[in-house]
Amino acid sequence: MALDTQIPIRNQVPSFLHSASNKLRRVRVTPMSVFWTLILFILIIPITLFLSVAFSPRLFDQGKQWFTLSSFKPVFTGSYGLALLHSLILGVVAAVGASAIALTMAWLVLRTDTPARKIWNGTIFALFLAPSYLIALGWQRLFEQRGVLEIMGLHVTPIRNLLYGPVGICLVLMVKGIPFAYLVIANAMRGLGEEFEQAARVHGGSRVAAFKIMATLLLPSIFSALAIVFAEAISDFGVASTLSNVAHFSVATYQLYQGINAIPVQFPVSAATSLTLLTLVILAILAQNRALRGRSFRTLSGRTRPASVTKFSLLGKSLTSGWIIAVLVITLGIPIFGAISASLLQGLGSLLSHYSINFSNYSRVLGSRFLRRPLIYSTEMSLITATLAVGLAAIASKVLTAAKPSRSKRFMDFFLLAAVALPGIVFAIGYIFTYNLKFINDLGLHVYGTSFLLALAYTANALPSTSRSLVGNMSQIQDSMMDASRVHGSGPARAWLDVTMPIIARPLLIAWLLTFSGTLLELPVSELLYPPGSPPVAVGIELSLAGFDFGGGTAIEVLSILWALTVVAIAFFLFNRFAPAGWKRLGNQR
Amino acid sequence: MNKVQPLRVEVRGAQKNYGALAALDHFDLTIEPGTFTVLLGPSGSGKSTLIRSIAGIERLDSGTISFGENLISGPGLHLPPEKRDLAMVFQDYALWPHMSAYENVEYALRRRKVSAAEVSARVNEALERVGLAGKGSNYPFQLSGGEQQRVALARAIVARPSLLLFDEPLSNLDADLRERLRVEIATLTREIGATALYITHDQSEAFALADTIGVLKSGQLQQLDTPENIYQKPANRFVAAFTGISGSFKAVVKESDGNLATVQAGEQLIECRVGAELKVGANVEVLLRPSATSIRSGQSQEKNVHSGQVLDLAYRGRGYEHVIECDLGVISSVFAAEPAKRGDKVEIYIDPQSTLAFNDQ
Repeated sequence: MALDTQIPIRNQVPSFLHSASNKLRRVRVTPMSVFWTLILFILIIPITLFLSVAFSPRLFDQGKQWFTLSSFKPVFTGSYGLALLHSLILGVVAAVGASAIALTMAWLVLRTDTPARKIWNGTIFALFLAPSYLIALGWQRLFEQRGVLEIMGLHVTPIRNLLYGPVGICLVLMVKGIPFAYLVIANAMRGLGEEFEQAARVHGGSRVAAFKIMATLLLPSIFSALAIVFAEAISDFGVASTLSNVAHFSVATYQLYQGINAIPVQFPVSAATSLTLLTLVILAILAQNRALRGRSFRTLSGRTRPASVTKFSLLGKSLTSGWIIAVLVITLGIPIFGAISASLLQGLGSLLSHYSINFSNYSRVLGSRFLRRPLIYSTEMSLITATLAVGLAAIASKVLTAAKPSRSKRFMDFFLLAAVALPGIVFAIGYIFTYNLKFINDLGLHVYGTSFLLALAYTANALPSTSRSLVGNMSQIQDSMMDASRVHGSGPARAWLDVTMPIIARPLLIAWLLTFSGTLLELPVSELLYPPGSPPVAVGIELSLAGFDFGGGTAIEVLSILWALTVVAIAFFLFNRFAPAGWKRLGNQR
Repeated sequence: MNKVQPLRVEVRGAQKNYGALAALDHFDLTIEPGTFTVLLGPSGSGKSTLIRSIAGIERLDSGTISFGENLISGPGLHLPPEKRDLAMVFQDYALWPHMSAYENVEYALRRRKVSAAEVSARVNEALERVGLAGKGSNYPFQLSGGEQQRVALARAIVARPSLLLFDEPLSNLDADLRERLRVEIATLTREIGATALYITHDQSEAFALADTIGVLKSGQLQQLDTPENIYQKPANRFVAAFTGISGSFKAVVKESDGNLATVQAGEQLIECRVGAELKVGANVEVLLRPSATSIRSGQSQEKNVHSGQVLDLAYRGRGYEHVIECDLGVISSVFAAEPAKRGDKVEIYIDPQSTLAFNDQ
C-alpha cells in the first residue's frame, strides 16, 4: 500500500542537513564510510525523523507546535488506549504462558530420556521460522464458518467463539513466543552442569533445595524469555491483521495500521503510539535487568560437567511424550493441517454446497500469472535483502565485537538494540513518513513506492536481528588470526576473505537463509510499502483471502513455505557439497 | 635451510598512548642484524605494543621505525604489515582453524612468487623441521597445544623472512614442552639467520634464548645488554629485581669503595656489592640473587652469616631450597645439598658478590 501524496514541508532543507552534507563532501570514500552512509539512510534517518514528529509536529509541517506532548493524549484514551491496554494484557499472558511451556520443554528435552524429545529438536526451528499470521490463518481455515472442520461435518462453534477473541489471539501469540523462550532457556540449561546440584546435595540440601538452586540459576534466562516474548507479542502485526481483525479485538499494532490508512494521516499520533510501544519493549528489558538487580549467574566454564539425565518409567515416558506431542500438534500440527487441507479443498470460501479434494488450487496458482507473481517477486526481493542484510550485518557485527571501545561501536550498539525493539509496523510507517517528505524528494531521492525502497526497508528490518545473530560467532574470532594473516602477507580485504569469511561461513549461510525465509513471508513492511501492482507473498495471500479465494490463498501459503524449505535444502546441499573441507569442519568439530 | 639477509631494526622516540596510559614512552631500541633480542618486562610494560608496532599491527602515535635504511613507520607513514616482509609467532598460536597444518604453513608463501613444486617442498621441509612430518593434513583442533605452536613456528620460518617476531609464544604451554620448544626456537632462528625479536615476562626464557636482553618498564627501556651484564650489572633496582632475587632487606651504608660496601641492617654489618653509586649514610635496599645464599652447618664465625629458622623447603633434584626467616626478613631459595627440617635453627651465609645494594626510593 503506497501513499499517493507527498507530505508537505515548510522548510525545504533543514540547515543541519546542509552543514551535514557539506561535511559529507569532505569525507573520504572508504568501505566503512559507505557502510555508515547506508546505515544512516536505511536505519537512523527514517527512525529518528518519524519518531521526532511525536514531539515536534511543526518540524515536518505536521502541526503548529515546535514542541508538544499533545500527540500522546490520544494514545492513552479512546480506541488507541483500549488497543494499547489489550496489547499489554496479551503480552503479559503470552509471555508467562510461552515461558512456562518453554521451561518444561527445555527440561524434558535436555534433562530427561523422554522419547519424543528428538521430535521437538527437529521441529523447533520450523516453529521459529513460521510467521504468526500463517499460524493464525491455519487455525482460522479450520475453525471458521464453512471452514475445513465444518465441511467435515464437525460442530466447532464453541471453539470458534473462543478462537475469535482474546483467547485465540493469546494462544497464537503464545505459540509464536515458545521458540524464542525455548532457545533462551535451553541455552542456559545446557550450561548448567550437574555440579551445582551435587554441591547442594553433598552439603546437606534436599532434592527440593537443590531444585531451588537450579531454578535460581535459571532465573536470568527466564526473565529474558519473559521480556523477549512480551516484546514480540506487543509488536506482532501478523495476528493483529488476521485473528484480531476478524474478531474485532483491537490491538496497538493494528490500530497503528488503521491510523496510517485514515484520512488525513495523523503521523504525530502514529509516532507517539510507536514511541509508546517502543517504550514498553524497553521497559520490559529494563524490568528484566531490575528483577535481576544486576546479578549475573555465570554458570558456563571449561569445567562444566554434563548434567545428569532423569530416567522415566514407561508411564512417565508416555505422559511426557504425550505432552510434547500435544504441544507440537497445537503449535505446528493444527496450522499445517489447516493450511494444507484448505489448499486441497476446491471451493473453500465460496457458498458452494459441494467441495472436492484435489490439487486444483495449486494448478490455479502455478498457472495464473497473477497468483504466481507474488511468489516470484518475493523470491527476488528476498534474495536481494538476504544478501544485502547479511553483508551489512557481517560488518556491523565486526564493529560490535571490536576489542577496542570506540564511539562507532557504542553508537551502533545503541541503534541496533533500539531497532531490534522497534516493531516492523513502526519501521514501515517510519519509511512511509520519511521517504514521502518533500525535502527528501528535493534531495533527489524519489524512491517512495518502488521496489528499491521496499528492499531497503526489508534490509533495515532484518539488519538488527541478523547482526545480533552474527555477533556471537564474530566475537569468537581472535584478532590475532587476522593479524597473523596480515603479517604473513595479506592485505585487509584478502585477510577478511581468507580468515573471517571461511570461519563464519556456516553462521553466514544460516543468517542468510533465516533472512531469506523471513523476508519471503514478511507481512508488515510488505503490507505498507509494496509498490503498486507488485504484491509480495504475504500481501498476495491476504488479497486472495480478502477475495474469498481461500483455497488459492492457502495454496500460495503452502507453496511459499515449501519454496523456502527447498531453498534451505538446496543451500545446505551446495554448502556441504562444494564448501572446502575446513569450512565445514568448523562448529562441527569432534 | 638457506640463510637469509637479516635486518637491522631501529626504533626511535616511539610513543603510543591508550587514553591517558603511555604504553610506549619515547622508546628507543636498536636490534643488530642477525641477533636474537629478547624484551623482558611485566604486564603493561609495553613489550606487546612494541612488537605489534614493529609488525605493523599497531600504529605509533609518534616516533619512527626503520628496517635497515628503509623507514617503515614515521610521521604520515605506516607500511602495512603485509608489506614488511616479516613473520610472527603469536601467543595464542593464531592458527586458522579452517585450514590444515599444511595450508596454514603454505599461507605464508602465497605472497612469494614460488613455484608449486617449491611451495610443496618448503612446506614439507618446514613441517619436518618442527617435527610434524606426516601431520600436514591435520586440522588445528586435531593437534595438541605443543603441535599447534610448532605449526605456528613452521609458518613463521617457511618464507625465510628477514625478521622473526615472537609474541610470548611459549606462555600457554606446560613446563616440559616450553623447554623443548624453546630449544627449537633458538636453533631454528639461528639456522635461518634472521633477526629475531622475542618478548616474554619469563626471565629464565629470556636468559636462555637471548644474545641481547632489553628490560622494559612502563613503556621505557631500562637496560639493553648481554644476559651476563643484565644479571651481574643491572642498571637499576627494577632490572635487578625483575631478573631474579630471592629476598631483600633495608639497610644504611657505612662504608663504600664503589665496588663493595658495608651496610648496617639492625645490629648486623653486612658486606655487599654496590648496584649503583652509594653515599655513606644513605638508606639502601639490598637485593639477594638466588645464588647469594647457602646454609652453613654448625656455628660459623664468618662475616655475612646470619641465624634463621626454616619455614619451608622444596626438593630440587641437585639439593634443597629452603625458605628461611632471619633478622633480615624472609629469604627464599637458600640452597643446601642436605635438607634441614621445618622449624630448625640454621646459619645462612650471604655471598657479597651475589648481592646488590641500590639507593632506597
